[in-house]
Amino acid sequence: MSGHSSVHDAGRTPRHAMPEQLPVEPPEEQELIAYLEPDQLVAETFRPVTRAILTRNAAVVLWALRVFVVLVSLMVIYTFVVRLH
Amino acid sequence: MGTPEVAAPSPLLRQPLLSDEDTVRSHDRSRVHDARDQHKRWYLLWLLVGPGILAMLGENDGPSMIAYASDGAQYGLGFFVPFIPILFLMAYVCQEMCMRVGAVTHRGYGELVLQRYGSVWGWFGAGDLCLTNLVTLIAEFIAIRVGLAYFHLGAGVAVALGFVLVLFTLSGGRYWRWERTVLGLALFNGLFLLAAILVKPHIASIASSFSFTPLPHGGFNTLLLLLASTIGATVTPWMIFFQQSASADKGMTPEDVRHGRYDTAIGAVIAAIFGIGALVAGAALLTHGGSGIQGFAGAGFPEALRRVAGSSAGTVFALGLIEAGAVAILTISASTAYAAGECIGVSHSFNTSPRSAAVFYAANIGVALLAGMVILIPGAPLLSIALNANVLATVLLPVSLVFMLMLANDRGLMGRWANRPSTNVVGIAVITFVSVCGAAYGVDSFLQAIHVIGS
Repeated sequence: MSGHSSVHDAGRTPRHAMPEQLPVEPPEEQELIAYLEPDQLVAETFRPVTRAILTRNAAVVLWALRVFVVLVSLMVIYTFVVRLH
Repeated sequence: MGTPEVAAPSPLLRQPLLSDEDTVRSHDRSRVHDARDQHKRWYLLWLLVGPGILAMLGENDGPSMIAYASDGAQYGLGFFVPFIPILFLMAYVCQEMCMRVGAVTHRGYGELVLQRYGSVWGWFGAGDLCLTNLVTLIAEFIAIRVGLAYFHLGAGVAVALGFVLVLFTLSGGRYWRWERTVLGLALFNGLFLLAAILVKPHIASIASSFSFTPLPHGGFNTLLLLLASTIGATVTPWMIFFQQSASADKGMTPEDVRHGRYDTAIGAVIAAIFGIGALVAGAALLTHGGSGIQGFAGAGFPEALRRVAGSSAGTVFALGLIEAGAVAILTISASTAYAAGECIGVSHSFNTSPRSAAVFYAANIGVALLAGMVILIPGAPLLSIALNANVLATVLLPVSLVFMLMLANDRGLMGRWANRPSTNVVGIAVITFVSVCGAAYGVDSFLQAIHVIGS
């Protein structure tokens, strides 16, 4: 486990502690919020994850995908247009 | 990728702590926690099933069920009866990863690809998905129209029915309500099983078909096209977007992964059974001119069944087509809406009101409305569009599968929930097989279009 906030701990109880940066909330909200994972809150899900640092193999796969997409796109578009007529 | 993956805190955190979406989701989660604490196993399962069954039964859509019935009518039961469960087993492998990524990250597929691998891939995926979904939705409206034609109802009724269903399911402002409504509708996919029973098949012939023989007759190219189109359409891009986003929207967490697997497995099993039901029903036409009924060209399928097996079989099959098209319209529209909201970076949840998630609701309604309007255009090449829907998906399918595998292996996001080596071996094999078949279908179609090989 990397330990960052979007990775979950399966052993945690529902009444987990709140992240430090969150403000103090009214009791009814405390009750409700206890049922959600910290990174499940809408405000938290709007925080973008960082770009992945790709390994050499992953970079090769993505380049192969680019070539595949260009070639197959041309074929599929041509096929689709021909068959429409 | 073991570095902290979340950027600096956003000003959004200084807004009110709980949004309406959070409140609704936490109420749903409270029931899950209570069921788990009180060891109510069946109730817990009931609460947590949904996205997997909907993805699998959504894939048993109008065109797929007509394709299964066509296979039965042209080739009989041999080969296809054991082949369909294998297809859904492969679908399970892929969809389980989607569910797991959604439950662990609480984020949809579109936003994770966009943020993790760049906007080019993110927007390509979303754009291609929207185009593919639009074409598929047109095919779904055609399927409803085929079913309604049996009852002497026209295209206008098909469009109205589909559109009203979309509006009705969106009216609750809650994911739970949407999911349960669509689940209730999806169970009527079992009408294809009823149709199979009504045609009174020989049980012995069904049992003997598990030997994988005989192979479908015809040339090598016909066989390749048949296998590639069927396999390539088993896991579709919309299913990947849908199940991950729906799992996140439902509020699933890593604690729920086990039940998410049950959900996906249940969906795969019942979808395979209902798919075989369509195949068996179609096989009743095998010795009654069934070879002339292919794809949507066989728009008279329910009528043909009525002549061979009685009015009950025809009626049930027609109702099944209406249901299959309707459920797919709801799930495919939802996947489009999720993708649009995630990539634009605005609210994308059934747990929000239309005012708070205008893009999400507009995309959901808009894509269904657009597809419905297309089938009302006089002289529109509907048959050609419907038959070519899978060709378009061949571009996105390998891309979607590769990114899904990368996400499921991303330890920075998934932590200990990342794929195990054994999962990767199976996953890579399935993804390679499905991708190659999908690509082979696209290349084969191209070679036919330029008359290099015969159709």
